[in-house]
Amino acid sequence: MTDPSRIRNFCIVAHIDHGKSTLADRLLDATQSISKREKRAQFLDNMDLERERGITIKAQTVRMSYVASDGERYILNLIDTPGHVDFSYEVSRALHACEGAILVVDAAQGIEAQTLANAYLAVDAGLEIIPIVNKIDLPSADPDRVAVEIEDVIGLDAADVLSVSAKEGDGIPELLEAIIGRIPPPKGDREAPTRALVFDAWFDSYVGAAMLVRVVDGSLTRGARICMMAHGTERDIQELHVVDPFPRKVEALRAGEVGVVIAGVKTLAEVFVGDTLCLAGKNLPERLPGFLEAKPMVFTGLYPVSSEDFEALKTALVKLKLNDSSLSYEPETSAALGFGFRCGFLGFLHSEIIQERLEREYDLDLITTAPTVRYRVVMPGGEAFEIESPASLPSAGEYDHIEEPMILATIHTPDDYLGPVLALCQDRHGTQRDMMHHGSRVQVRYELPLAEVVLDFHDRIKSVTRGYGSFDYEFIDYRRADLVKLDVLVNGESIDALSLIVHREKAHGHGTILVRKLKEFIPRQMYEVVLQAAIGARVVARTTVKALRKNVTAKCYGGDISRKRKLLEKQKAGKRRMKKVGSVEIPQEAFLAALKLDDS
Amino acid sequence: MYVHVPFCERVCPYCDFAVIAARPLTRELEDRFVAGLLVELERRAPAFDGRRLASLYFGGGTPSLLHPESVERVVEAVHRAFPASPEAAVEITLEVNPSTLERSRLPDFRSAGVARVSVGVQSFQDPVLKRLGRAHGAAEAHRTLAACRDAGFPSLSLDLIYAAPGQSAGDLERDLAEVTSFAPEHVSAYELSVEAGTPFALARERGQLELPAEDVALAMARNLEERLAAAGIQRYEISSYARPGCEAVHNTRYWRRRPVLGIGPSAVSTDPPVSDQTPFGSRRRNLPAVVPWLEGIESGSAAEASPPEVFDAATARGEAVFLALRELRGLDAGRFAGEFGAPPRQFFAAEIDELRADGLVDEDADGSLRLTRPGRQLADTVFVRFV
Repeated sequence: MTDPSRIRNFCIVAHIDHGKSTLADRLLDATQSISKREKRAQFLDNMDLERERGITIKAQTVRMSYVASDGERYILNLIDTPGHVDFSYEVSRALHACEGAILVVDAAQGIEAQTLANAYLAVDAGLEIIPIVNKIDLPSADPDRVAVEIEDVIGLDAADVLSVSAKEGDGIPELLEAIIGRIPPPKGDREAPTRALVFDAWFDSYVGAAMLVRVVDGSLTRGARICMMAHGTERDIQELHVVDPFPRKVEALRAGEVGVVIAGVKTLAEVFVGDTLCLAGKNLPERLPGFLEAKPMVFTGLYPVSSEDFEALKTALVKLKLNDSSLSYEPETSAALGFGFRCGFLGFLHSEIIQERLEREYDLDLITTAPTVRYRVVMPGGEAFEIESPASLPSAGEYDHIEEPMILATIHTPDDYLGPVLALCQDRHGTQRDMMHHGSRVQVRYELPLAEVVLDFHDRIKSVTRGYGSFDYEFIDYRRADLVKLDVLVNGESIDALSLIVHREKAHGHGTILVRKLKEFIPRQMYEVVLQAAIGARVVARTTVKALRKNVTAKCYGGDISRKRKLLEKQKAGKRRMKKVGSVEIPQEAFLAALKLDDS
Repeated sequence: MYVHVPFCERVCPYCDFAVIAARPLTRELEDRFVAGLLVELERRAPAFDGRRLASLYFGGGTPSLLHPESVERVVEAVHRAFPASPEAAVEITLEVNPSTLERSRLPDFRSAGVARVSVGVQSFQDPVLKRLGRAHGAAEAHRTLAACRDAGFPSLSLDLIYAAPGQSAGDLERDLAEVTSFAPEHVSAYELSVEAGTPFALARERGQLELPAEDVALAMARNLEERLAAAGIQRYEISSYARPGCEAVHNTRYWRRRPVLGIGPSAVSTDPPVSDQTPFGSRRRNLPAVVPWLEGIESGSAAEASPPEVFDAATARGEAVFLALRELRGLDAGRFAGEFGAPPRQFFAAEIDELRADGLVDEDADGSLRLTRPGRQLADTVFVRFV
């Protein structure tokens, strides 16, 4: 049993690509937690997809053993945190499992939006922060400038900033000593009633749900009956593990320790990140603060291109959900697309990851509808309900008003690009909250409708700042807005899957661009196709795809017959991937035309 | 039979056939090439054993770059390999370009047994010819056509390209006046198609290729058909027109999916069915480059680009339908049933019904199919339904 005074629980927080995973690897090396043979690059990222995207989706923790310069052996629990804006609640829970955080800042790029967002989260969680400047091996590194920036912007003493090259291993011993010396040991009371914070969970196909916990008070022992306080569910602890770096069974986890609890929980849907585990009984302790159920923020309709794949899509979603409790899905029927699912995601990136996995790992051809947010519809009597799809919006006149979710966006940019950033925020209905200059960089905070950022805001920020800007956001509240449903009609027939909810003043412009985009995607057919955008019965934009008049190969002789046949076969395969709506064939991409509205 | 002669003096910017122009056709290369053709003929003839010769077509490239005695050697060898069809005279065609050199050889080609010449006129308007990148001008075309008649070829075919870059309706009108004044037995009129990988495709990508608008191209097609019909030259296939009885025997074999033996680089053969191995026939394609093909032939090793394509029933049916529909007479239900066991409706009922409803296809009481007039402009839209 390790005395709490010899335990250090910490995480690493950083802006994306500032070298968090490499630093984690280097700490594992330095503490010999992992042999060369077992090693693979970026040990903590365990999905191929994460590796490709360079982000971490599921947090993992690892326990290291380290003999410090005082001759004592310490247990270091490194808690990995997700690194993208969509996952800020999960990050905050992981931070609450720690007493300290290593704040990694790139020696060349300096502070970015997520550096700051994560630093604030760490400060809010009461963590001791060890700032480090990483990548000092880069020719463009300027560690002194970045250290000053850290002092100016975050308020941490520049003298406390360590210089590290995670890639080369420079500065790692100093960092390990700082972890021992500066981060306080866990404070929990081992005699108090047991409370443990669930800060991550995943699905294991053998044991079911596995919960990663930090024991705050008391202890968890194998065989004990526990209560998951969010829903009052009781279970018996079947196994306890520590991960150093592979799971190893233990008999107990005591206050201050971090480990995995297996308690016969069948699915991930029953586990809530941020929940408190206590011992079952009559007198339950007070729950740990800060629990929120992960709530999807962005919704899209996912439909199989061919209706036979509906069951396969359902099976795939069930499987993905096992490991991702923030994914939600409900069956949905579209007049245009048939049977599919309305899926909820934490953010747009999350939705892209899921779609990519469905297409790649499950080999499904999908039609995705334009992403939307959850609107609140308030009826004349005052009662309100939420809608996740434009199709579920009642007709104008039936409701009193609509409210939309608002976010607080934090944007960092070199001051050269401030103008375009402000223009972008204004265009997206933003209200500026504040602006801070530090050196040649500016931080602006805007209140924005979530709907205006889900799609491409991050990309747009990147593009107007030539890649130097960064962006983070948090949800604030729902606010009343003048919104209307914009319908798309193909030959007079409304295509529910193409409907959008937009600000009234933008409806005309959106409608015009939308029908123009659709025209590009819809191939000419036997008969003229009329495309209209309408608010209720009022048509705001119209265009036509002219009838196909000429489609004939002039020459077909001996040398070409096979080639011509293959061209025809290819055209036929292309037609098969189109959805037939009435007599009009609409290709997959057309359903995403709404995504491209900003290309005007 | 088809003989591919890949040599050209220059390569046209819209051409995507297997041709070479980089090196002059020396006597030495020509002799080696012809010897290769004869070896390949000998090698491949057994697959066509028992068949009679209906046509022999020298295509290219520019086959008239061969000396007449080379053509004669091939003609004689083919006659030795296959007995002539008793039904009609063997159609022996040679593609000719309007140029001085080739004109001088025309009488000797006639003596070598060539009865039909297909002249690549393309247009009689110098600006159009220039934009098409052709070496000849209108005057040369006139002289070559006259020389063909003088040399006594009983059948003359003329190639036209329409909807060419910068071509106006008036340009085509003038072309048609010239064509009818020469009174050819046969005309092939192709709408210019921009093939991937050609200089024209590149120019189009860069926005430097100005093709006539769709309306203009459609009007040109209509005018072509009407003017030629008025001169007694009837349309019988999507791009082919002939005086009655002068339809191209050779090309018709492709549209009816009949066996064809092709020799020479890049030549394609449709081999006849072999009852238990390839009941619906097979297709072979030769190596496209001259030297690898020659080396393959000379060393007795493979001269083919890939393993033969062996047809299954469905693929063969699809080809049979879309090829036959190219001809105005359409797909004969009886002949189709003879090969595939049942008339087309048995396999394509839904497709036929929809195409009829859209007015693109007509169906006879016996199940024979034919493109309607609008169907001819949307032929590929129809064909896609059958592959």
